Amino acid sequence: MHSEKIVEIRNLVKDYGVKGFQTRVLKGIDLTIFSNDFIAIMGPSGSGKTTLLNILSSVDKPTLGSVLLDGRDITKLSNKELSRLRRDKIGFIFQDYNLLDTMSLKDNIALPLALNGVAGRECSRKAEELAEMFGLKDHLDKYPYQLSGGQKQRGAACRALITGPEIIFADEPTGALDSKAGKDLLDALLRVNEQGNATILMVTHDAYSASYAKDVYILSDGAMKCRISRGGSRKEFYDRIMDTQVSMGGDFT
Amino acid sequence: MSITRLALQNFRKSVSTYLSLILSLAFTIMIIYNFQCIVFSDLFDTLEEPNKGYINVIIEVITVVLVFFLLFFIWYSTNVFLTRRKREIGIYVFMGLSNQRIGKLYAVETLFIGAAALVLGLGVGALLTQLFQMILLALSDISVDLHFQIALEPVLITTGIYVAVYTLFIIKGYVNIVRSSVLNMISASRRNEYVRENRLLLVGKAVLGVAILSTGFYLAVRAGGVEVIESLLAAVVLVIMGVYLLFGGFLPLLFQGFVKNKAVLYRGERTLWINNVVYRMRKNYRTYAMTCVLMLCSVTALATSFAMRNRYDNIVRFRRTYTFQILSDVPGSQEQLAGLIGRDNNILYESCVELLSLDASLVDTQFNYGNYMIVPYSQVASLAEDAGLEPLFREPAEDEVIGLSHVVLLSFITDRSDITYTINGRVLREIHDTDEPYLGYLQEIGNYLVVNDRFYDELKPLGWSVMYVYSFGIEDPENFAASKDELDAFVSAERAQGHYTGCVTIDPHDKTADWIKVLYSLCIFVFMVFVLASGSILFMKLYNDAFEERGRYKVLQKIGCSERRLRRAVSRELGCTYALPFAVMAGSAFFSVHALERLMSENLMTVYGVSVLIVLAFFLVFYRASVRLYYKNAGI
Repeated sequence: MHSEKIVEIRNLVKDYGVKGFQTRVLKGIDLTIFSNDFIAIMGPSGSGKTTLLNILSSVDKPTLGSVLLDGRDITKLSNKELSRLRRDKIGFIFQDYNLLDTMSLKDNIALPLALNGVAGRECSRKAEELAEMFGLKDHLDKYPYQLSGGQKQRGAACRALITGPEIIFADEPTGALDSKAGKDLLDALLRVNEQGNATILMVTHDAYSASYAKDVYILSDGAMKCRISRGGSRKEFYDRIMDTQVSMGGDFT
Repeated sequence: MSITRLALQNFRKSVSTYLSLILSLAFTIMIIYNFQCIVFSDLFDTLEEPNKGYINVIIEVITVVLVFFLLFFIWYSTNVFLTRRKREIGIYVFMGLSNQRIGKLYAVETLFIGAAALVLGLGVGALLTQLFQMILLALSDISVDLHFQIALEPVLITTGIYVAVYTLFIIKGYVNIVRSSVLNMISASRRNEYVRENRLLLVGKAVLGVAILSTGFYLAVRAGGVEVIESLLAAVVLVIMGVYLLFGGFLPLLFQGFVKNKAVLYRGERTLWINNVVYRMRKNYRTYAMTCVLMLCSVTALATSFAMRNRYDNIVRFRRTYTFQILSDVPGSQEQLAGLIGRDNNILYESCVELLSLDASLVDTQFNYGNYMIVPYSQVASLAEDAGLEPLFREPAEDEVIGLSHVVLLSFITDRSDITYTINGRVLREIHDTDEPYLGYLQEIGNYLVVNDRFYDELKPLGWSVMYVYSFGIEDPENFAASKDELDAFVSAERAQGHYTGCVTIDPHDKTADWIKVLYSLCIFVFMVFVLASGSILFMKLYNDAFEERGRYKVLQKIGCSERRLRRAVSRELGCTYALPFAVMAGSAFFSVHALERLMSENLMTVYGVSVLIVLAFFLVFYRASVRLYYKNAGI
């Protein structure tokens, strides 16, 4: 099943602060993500979740260690190459959707493809196909301000998926959604993942969201504390995640 | 903390944000102040009345235009300011401030901005007055000793106008805040400006805009008699309305069409900037229209200026055709006069022509100018040959007449195709009207009609008197004074014998036409003011927009849009912002310059081309600066 390595993180260390007064936020993280994985990273506030995601998505640079994406170390790429990498290989879903309010939902979804120089008709077709999958077919001509939070986030997921990226990074995707909207989004993401169309790395503090993943890693104090893998039903997985959280203590919100 | 102190604190904190607003207000104040200074200065005293009076009237007219501009400008900028401030001060609602107190806070804060602009505008204005006047005089080619002076009246008048207009809009803002709901206040600047407008409405607006604009153009270039003044005024109003409708209807329609057609839209960064243009269209179309109208004014002003300069040269050349002209009822004095002038000056050419003075009651025509002088064709023809002037159009038949007019500044009668004169019961059709200076300066101060020799002989017994004009052009017009004594003696001698004799001497240093040069340089200033105003309005708008775009560009960068791409999208979008009003202006200016062409009966198409190119050059500079600053402010 674990066919192809997508991301390989080796001994990732990140320090913040000036020399002599440094805080080590990430203390040597190792993680390998394979094609078609659905990984959730959980951890209490200040555990380093956001830092890890920023480095993975090439927004931030690590102090030590390497991140191999598609066989290339992203910590050593130039800005231009990073731009291309983000455009072609990575899809992003942000907590606050980050749709452009200047354009319609359809234009938002099609944007990465259009920027890649794909023909207009093809962009349209793909955007419509994804919108159908995410239940947004009737909202394509609307502008972000006319959409609910859930619709916006599903739109953002479509935008992240349209280029067929190697991996999707999702930063607290349900953080700003109510439980129904959150469930709709996760169901859709799960569907895409199960159809073999996406590898997903999701950062979340919410055990319910995490229970949609295949593996949950718990990050605490800058280091991976444990990994929980889904065995049976999601309900059972959710209970195990909750138990681990309780046993570890700490504030997970 | 009192409202005033809070407002002062807010003002101090945000002074850099509103710097562009303060600077542009100050600029307008400075210009009005400078124009007022001219009215109250002794700058043009050398020009003597009534020329100084003409200039003052023109400056007053320009001031009225500027005040209107100030009005619109303050309206526009306080609106932008109000929307931006509303959300910030809306937060005070949660601290328990009433709408009235928030309104007061806004009013006081705006007052600080206004006061800062006033002080700055007057201060810089006072410092620059001398420079301004120096440039004005240099352009007008007039030499006057300048001395630094600050008169009280211009300061008071400028302050008065500004305070009145500004207060009006502060009150408007205050009322607006007092009446708005909390939600409205907080979401004011977040509210999406873009609402896709009804297609039918847009089509209606576009069609109406094109129709009104075409009517305006038609009225502007239509030839006619005195009604031209009215059609020109109507044309100005119609063109302004048409431009607004065009930007409010046609452009949104066009761009919404682009957005709908995904095959066109999804091509590289096009989706980014076209969507941005559409998104801002509702907010921006008034700005586009306003800058377009301002640019139109500026191009027209520049064209007027060029034409005035040209006209000045022509008027001077016209007047200087002859240095001496002697009008007398004594025939055959040419040789004697040539002898007198020849003593001190070399005569280049000389001529004599016979005139018949007719009483106004004997002549009936559409435009009655008073007494008419009738000249026989053959004499003018030989005069033209003697003085080396263009030959006459052709010999008029017995029912035809040729008008001799002079170079005028403007003529509202643009259609001279149907003019007839009824002289002594006979209807004569004017076949041509010429401003070739056959009779030199005298042609400027009378009405002359060239008729067929036979008809002239018929008329001769009816006239008051027959007069003779002896004209002389000399080699060195500067040396005119040398022959003056002899000529004066000649005139006195003739008069003593009971003859009607007079002498016109043209002084090449004569200043009576100098006010036209001032007009020329004032037009250049008006051009500068308008082109800078339209440029800076767009510049200011883009400067503000860039801050709003920051977040959007951050997102785009995160999803992998390279800096180069973003920059390209920005430069396209900004290019569009400058190009749209410019294109509409270039089209409209063709008609306005054409109208001017008719008023001045001169070919101004080169002037049109040059003026548009000059505006283009200014705009390119503004565009470049905007793009640079936009990158910086939007963080890309």
